[in-house]
Amino acid sequence: MFAIILSVAGAALVVLTWGVYLASIPAGKVPVRPVGSVMLQCTGVTLALGGVLHWVRGADAHAAAVFAPAGLAVVMGGFFLFLLSQRKTPVGDIKVAVGDKLLPFEARTAEGFDFHSEALMGQRTLFKFFRGAW
Amino acid sequence: MKDDLAKYGVSVVALSKDTVEQAANNKKRDGLTFTLLSDPELAVIKQYGVEHHKALEFSKGGFTLFGIPLALVPSVKRMAIPTSLLLDEQGVIHWIDQSEDYRLRSNEQRVMEAIKAAFG
Repeated sequence: MFAIILSVAGAALVVLTWGVYLASIPAGKVPVRPVGSVMLQCTGVTLALGGVLHWVRGADAHAAAVFAPAGLAVVMGGFFLFLLSQRKTPVGDIKVAVGDKLLPFEARTAEGFDFHSEALMGQRTLFKFFRGAW
Repeated sequence: MKDDLAKYGVSVVALSKDTVEQAANNKKRDGLTFTLLSDPELAVIKQYGVEHHKALEFSKGGFTLFGIPLALVPSVKRMAIPTSLLLDEQGVIHWIDQSEDYRLRSNEQRVMEAIKAAFG
């Protein structure tokens, strides 16, 4: 029974930490140093692995009841840590510098009209590249 | 933020790899009033050298059971590195803001400081 409690607690901690982190994105409050999230994720994974270890040592519990939550915790926790490890963007390839003129470009607006960068002349603009909707 | 920008006569134009349809949906969903540009071929993104090669994407595919995807196939998603350029009336760049950590976006305080430095 203790093995199940450990695994479920680990999975719950991992899922909860994911939830809190994801909620911080639309709120614009993503932590610069997500130390708390990382520690909670690691704790969740450790708890789940502890549950598995306890089961391996001969705990009297149904295998699936231990392995299902433990697996969830390890996969989701591991994925969280992996994504975080990939957070650095490869900056430095940018082709323009302060003092340069805008490179002329063409694109289409959300309304489907053709857009030329000439349209930005005569007005101050904050021109943003973003990652798109998701 | 919008009012602060208007005070300095700055309008916002944002470009991403979204298609026109995705951009239109995004605009509607989030109630955006500024100009959204669509660059699905990443022509402009590449021209400016702000393409992010590493971002992962998970698409439905591979194994399905009764139409339910059982596995998500990871692939490299091409998109822009979050970047802001502040331009004056002649199209000259006064400020470039790039995030070294894609989780973190340009924030209001930094943008307004740059605008005040350039046009204030």
